[in-house]
Amino acid sequence: MAGNITVIKKSGNRKIVVADSAAAMDERSKGDVFVDGSHCGVNVGEMTINSGMGAMIGNDAGMGKNDAGIVALKMCDERGIPAAAVAARSAKIGSGMSTYEQGKISVANETAKKMGVRVGMSAKEAADKMLQALAKS
Amino acid sequence: MTHEVHKVVRESGGRRIIIADSATSVTEANKNDIVVDGSHCGANIASDYILPSGARGMIGNDAGIGLENAGIASLKILEEHGIPAAAVAAMSAEIGVGQSTYSDGVISTVNAVAKKMGVAVGMTTKEAANKMLAGVLKRRG
Repeated sequence: MAGNITVIKKSGNRKIVVADSAAAMDERSKGDVFVDGSHCGVNVGEMTINSGMGAMIGNDAGMGKNDAGIVALKMCDERGIPAAAVAARSAKIGSGMSTYEQGKISVANETAKKMGVRVGMSAKEAADKMLQALAKS
Repeated sequence: MTHEVHKVVRESGGRRIIIADSATSVTEANKNDIVVDGSHCGANIASDYILPSGARGMIGNDAGIGLENAGIASLKILEEHGIPAAAVAAMSAEIGVGQSTYSDGVISTVNAVAKKMGVAVGMTTKEAANKMLAGVLKRRG
């Protein structure tokens, strides 16, 4: 359902949260690791930054024209927000749970890499790395 | 749900073609519209946004189609509801940017309802949206 979020786990005052769409980002998930089924385009970058997410993992949407499908990663990097995308061939776009359960990381920004996120890692493992790093901070 | 001011590119007989960056900004206010957006065409776009809004048609991004054709799953769902829908190739338009779908997009996938209205693979989004508008107006009778 639109706007629904599922809390997967907690560490300290941070959570891993899953939603089908980045449009579900709001106060409930502030500072959390937000895993969604959306592409990582420019508008998703704006949503992630403006709603104060702690970290974001989305779908690379096949990267596409001008790498538009992963633009949000760079935008988040500039704000010190860890972000990564899963390959469109690894998870069903539009399904946050598929990103989380099936997704394989295809791109990670520098902030995420510093937290131990690597290309080829499962989204679950990547989200755990992000949660651990944020919970410590 | 996101908030956006949609651009209206055409209006005819009480029906419109509108542009949105995200399909999540589509509401009941768009019940007379052909929605051209920058979103992928995954299943949630049809079930959570386009169908509840009552929009008359949709053109989005195929997001590289991806695992189990998830990037175009909404086309089939909308087809079952008699709604024309199509997707542009991810390599033709910038995902997340509705204006790019409209101005740069080249149609890669079409559902059966849109096909009947004359929408075809390889067509520009503009042409496809115009076909849908004409089809929707004809349907109204």
